[in-house]
Amino acid sequence: MSNQPSPSPGNQEEAPPQSEHLNIKVTDNNNEVFFKIKRTTQLKKLMDAFCDRQGKQFHSVRFLFDGTRVNPTDNPEMLDMQDGDTLEVHQEQIGGC
Amino acid sequence: MSLCMSRLQEERKAWRKDHPFGFVAKPMKNSQGALDLKRWECMIPGRDKTIWEGALLKLEVQFPDEYPTKPPKCKFTPPLFHPNVYPSGTVCLSILNEEEAWKPAITIKQILLGIQMLLDEVNPESPAQAEAYNLFKKDRVAYEKQVRKIVKDNQAP
Repeated sequence: MSNQPSPSPGNQEEAPPQSEHLNIKVTDNNNEVFFKIKRTTQLKKLMDAFCDRQGKQFHSVRFLFDGTRVNPTDNPEMLDMQDGDTLEVHQEQIGGC
Repeated sequence: MSLCMSRLQEERKAWRKDHPFGFVAKPMKNSQGALDLKRWECMIPGRDKTIWEGALLKLEVQFPDEYPTKPPKCKFTPPLFHPNVYPSGTVCLSILNEEEAWKPAITIKQILLGIQMLLDEVNPESPAQAEAYNLFKKDRVAYEKQVRKIVKDNQAP
């Protein structure tokens, strides 16, 4: 991002530049993995890839974007994601004892 | 564009790019569905290895027109049981006080990390609510038991 000519200081901060692909950071607070994904691709693809790479079970973790749980069938467009956004990976947990 | 709005846009941009793990900070939407950059909904996780570990606490941050000259108001919703939080939920912290340590250069990231630290670093010299303060002073075991209950009732989504 930093090596690009700075875009005009637009006032629509949430308006994403409409490129077809986004770079999304996925982090579990220990590891960071960067993925390039299409706006309309299901996030399941990226979630599976992260789990594969980190040797995690898909059902042992949950993915959060802006504090909200992400469903595998969501795509970046549905969640208003922008280039450079972060997906957090947290340990799955069940309340009550 | 006003200084307030341009700074808030910058803050949001910086946050999206990089923020501390487990925290949330996003502008709220008004009734028409448009973003209101002056009101943010935030989430603060309890720090690991403290009695607040595992909690995720909701905080509303309101920015005055004079921001960043003046600090934002940070309010736990619902109000939080903590000696340095007013019964209204408003956080009492030096870095959020214009007369004390607020500086325009303080970022939202710093504010939220500061409030996270305050959870476990009570200042009994400056109480803001009677309930938590009294218990903290008189019966630490009961105080911690109450905190554990709050943690249990406020888990991450």
